[in-house]
Amino acid sequence: MKRILIAEDEEILRMLIMDTLEEEEYIVDEAQDGEEALELLQKYQYDLLILDYMMPIVTGIEVIEKVRHDMKDQQQKILMLSAKSQSFEQEKVLNAGADYFMAKPFSPLALLAKVEEIFNES
Amino acid sequence: MKVSSYIKKSISRQFIALICFFILLFLFGAGALTGIQEKINARFIADRQKIINKRALTEEIELHFNDALFNIRGYLAFDNEELREQVYREEKEIIILLKQFKKVAETEKDQEMYKKMVLFDEYVFEDAFPKAVSYYETGNTDEVKAIANNGATSRINNFKQELTAYKKYIDGKLNGLVTKLESTNSKLQFYFFAYILFLLTIIYIIGRMMVFKIGKPLTDFAAAADEIAKGEDVEIKVEAKRQDELGILSVAFSKMYRKIQDKEQDLLAQNEELIAQQDELHAQQSELEEVLEKVKQNEESLYRRNRLINGLSHSFNKQHLLKSIVVNMSELIGADRGIIVVTEEDAFAAFGVSDKGAKQFRTFLYEGMYFRLEEEKGPFIIKKELGISEKGYHEEKGYVYDLYIPIFSSANSIAAVMMFSRFSDRFSEFQMDEFSALAKQIGLSLDTIQLFEETERAKELNQDILNNVQEGIQLISIKGEILQVNAQFCEMFGQSKNWQDFVGKSWDAWTKQVEAAIGGDSSLLAYIENALQNQSEQSFTYQFEKTGKVIKVYAEDLYRDEVVKIGTVFVYRDITKEYEVDKMKSEFVSTVSHELRTPLASILGFTELLINRELKKERQQKYLSTIYGEANRLTLLINDFLDVQRMEAGKQTYEKKYLEVIPILKKIVDHQKVIAVKHQITIKTELNEAVILGDKLKIEQAFTNIIGNAIKYSPKGGNIHISIYEEAESINISVQDEGLGIPEGEIDKLFAKFYRVDNSDRRKIGGTGLGLAIVQEIVNAHGGKIIVQSQLGEGSNFTLSFPKVSMGVQTAHNEEDIREKNSYHIMVIEDDYSLAQLITQELKDFGFQVHYYKSGQAALTAIKESLPDAIVLDIMLEEDDMNGWDMMKHLKQQQKTKDIPIVISTALDEKEKGYALGARDYLVKPYRTSELSRTIMQTLLKTGKKGQILIPHSENNETNNAK
Repeated sequence: MKRILIAEDEEILRMLIMDTLEEEEYIVDEAQDGEEALELLQKYQYDLLILDYMMPIVTGIEVIEKVRHDMKDQQQKILMLSAKSQSFEQEKVLNAGADYFMAKPFSPLALLAKVEEIFNES
Repeated sequence: MKVSSYIKKSISRQFIALICFFILLFLFGAGALTGIQEKINARFIADRQKIINKRALTEEIELHFNDALFNIRGYLAFDNEELREQVYREEKEIIILLKQFKKVAETEKDQEMYKKMVLFDEYVFEDAFPKAVSYYETGNTDEVKAIANNGATSRINNFKQELTAYKKYIDGKLNGLVTKLESTNSKLQFYFFAYILFLLTIIYIIGRMMVFKIGKPLTDFAAAADEIAKGEDVEIKVEAKRQDELGILSVAFSKMYRKIQDKEQDLLAQNEELIAQQDELHAQQSELEEVLEKVKQNEESLYRRNRLINGLSHSFNKQHLLKSIVVNMSELIGADRGIIVVTEEDAFAAFGVSDKGAKQFRTFLYEGMYFRLEEEKGPFIIKKELGISEKGYHEEKGYVYDLYIPIFSSANSIAAVMMFSRFSDRFSEFQMDEFSALAKQIGLSLDTIQLFEETERAKELNQDILNNVQEGIQLISIKGEILQVNAQFCEMFGQSKNWQDFVGKSWDAWTKQVEAAIGGDSSLLAYIENALQNQSEQSFTYQFEKTGKVIKVYAEDLYRDEVVKIGTVFVYRDITKEYEVDKMKSEFVSTVSHELRTPLASILGFTELLINRELKKERQQKYLSTIYGEANRLTLLINDFLDVQRMEAGKQTYEKKYLEVIPILKKIVDHQKVIAVKHQITIKTELNEAVILGDKLKIEQAFTNIIGNAIKYSPKGGNIHISIYEEAESINISVQDEGLGIPEGEIDKLFAKFYRVDNSDRRKIGGTGLGLAIVQEIVNAHGGKIIVQSQLGEGSNFTLSFPKVSMGVQTAHNEEDIREKNSYHIMVIEDDYSLAQLITQELKDFGFQVHYYKSGQAALTAIKESLPDAIVLDIMLEEDDMNGWDMMKHLKQQQKTKDIPIVISTALDEKEKGYALGARDYLVKPYRTSELSRTIMQTLLKTGKKGQILIPHSENNETNNAK
């Protein structure tokens, strides 16, 4: 049973992603912002993080950095969603430590496919 | 004889000749003597030899005879054949010897002897012996004995005695020979000595000759020379005959002496001449001394002149120059007093003159002497009697000479006037010419100073202009040194405003300074270097690390006469503000796009799910309403964005009506409650009604933004208190939240467009940063105010206040309200009388107060008295004092009048220009006058006259707009 954490400050989008993923028997937790996300990360073990770029208090990038530096033992994959779609932004995200990148607006089914792909790989 | 003369010519030759002669003599003598000696010796030896030979022969003969006899005896004794043979051999021998003896027999005695020998020989060998032999052989021994006894023996003994005697004779001869030799030798010795004596004599003679011929004359010469050297007269003997050196010497010497004597006489004569000349020279010398004195004096005066001229050329300070001129000229001229006055200005300098006197001179200069100076065009003198003050203790009349010297500029007008007074003597013609020349010099100098001052002013002006400009300007030479800078440049890069710091510095020096100022980043300098070399046209944008300022640099090459490149001009423009604005705009754009994407994402996402999945009805409903909501959100966002755009362009219009504030707020709060689950929003008021005049949508928007902010910026929830109350003539709506609060320094910036408080706590809480800007705009347009109070970490309070209105008779039409209002004052400026009448009437019908003027000037004068509420302006005014555009510009520039709305009404269609200058509206003739009135009303409405309420129902008709 794969465990997924979604961190997204826009409730609607959170709902969208949750609904998209629930069909496929994943355990999905949600966080409203980076801070919450980190708290949850401390508590539970996740296989995949889906993070929004722009979040209050603690941004998506900061979360990634924290995860990659401080919680190195957790080898979860990270997928970042961002409205910024330019290639250099993508690079920035990937360099920071994310594994995958998707631009907003995204197709939820495409996201689903991606998640499956990720889990198939590992 | 050649040889003789040759010899005679030189003493040394003579001497050599004598020596040679002597040597020859000596050699000859020696040779002769030696020869004789040899000869004698040889003779002696020869003779001796002969004698010895003779003796030897004699002895040998004797011996042989003896042997023969012995052998005969032997033979006869012993009958030895051998001996007989021996005898025969002996005989042969004796014959040979006898022959030999014959050869050497010279003397009588010798020959006698020889004869005897021969006889004996004959006797023995031809007589005696053969007989003997034969008798012996025959045995006649007695015969033999008879022979012997018959005389053989005696003969033999005779012969022996003869031989002995002969031998003695020979010995005697020999001795005699020796004695002879001895005597000859001694003779010879004697001759030798004699010879030596002879030679000595010769030497003596030679010596004497030398002494006589050489020594004496030399001594004589020496003595004579000595005498001459001493200076006494001498007789010189001339040996003309002598051809040798002494002869020459004597001749020469005497000649010399004669010459010396002659010369001496010449010299004496010359000496006398010289003495005479010397006297002359003495006379001349004293003359020269006089001249020298004069020259010295001239030198001094030249020196003074030089000082004057030096002073002229070195000084750029006008006052200095004038003072130096007057002092030096006074000295030069020998004046007791002097003054110089520059005509166009009030500059002067005086020597020996009191201030009062100087002033007096200057004052009256133009009343008298000036004109004479112009006429004379040169210096002139006036002789005057001395006044009492100048006389001192002298009782008699005295005179003073006043010398006036005009100084002409290059334009041939009088640039300055000099006057010098001399109490003593007059000025000569020569001096006057000189002074003219000097005056010219001074004139040139004054011209130069004039030019210099002008140049300095121009330079200062230029620098002031440069410094006045906002951009930093820098001129760099081809080599990279700084030729010129302005103050802004220095401020940008240097630490001080002292721009002398930079000018003239070499590339290395100033780049180092700049680099230090900007903190080590070399990109700017790299650009400058590149621009210097390559003439690149591109500009360069640079941000200062330390201060965050952003500048734009561009370079232009600077040419003189379009050919010679002097260097490159660099202009540094501070574009920090624009940069910031750009930055904010791009941030805004990116935020907006981000904000837009989110609702889009959800719309697309849910739609996709709806399409692709089999969903339950409830689920479907949920999704559809979400989509709907998000679409709305998107719309609102877009509207916000457009609002901002409109506000930027200044094209926002408001439709103001009566509004009840409380219901509006309630509606908004209800709306927000749906979203703001964490918050408790309460509305409190003690009022029954709160009415303001406003644009409903916009007021709602303002409230929504404020309340929305309250919710947004208290992310952890809390209470939001809204209260509505009256205060003075305003209705206040206060919104209090318990959120993050605002840092004190940020409150001012809050209403700036795109501004969002950004720190670690906020992390860019969503939003466009426009909300408050929009609110401000709306509030201002309604004549209201916003007050912000906040405590960081505790919450913020936003209070909007609007002017209160009372609902009297409600009229739906705003236009009617205005029409009833008659105290709007419109100024019409139009020179077409009939048209003016038309417009005036129209406006009056609508209830405006109208004044009209035909000319801009008249209108301006009237404006000074009282400001109109609006102006209708015709651009084409025929009065040529001020045209319409100028008038507009004038009005817009003045603080008092710049806000008065101007409607342009003209035949000229230049709408852009009109709007550019600030016209509210632009009507092109012909137009319907009703259009004008409508335009006016709209304009007035728009303006709202800066927060003043349009009171529709005038409770007091006189109420005017002067609030």
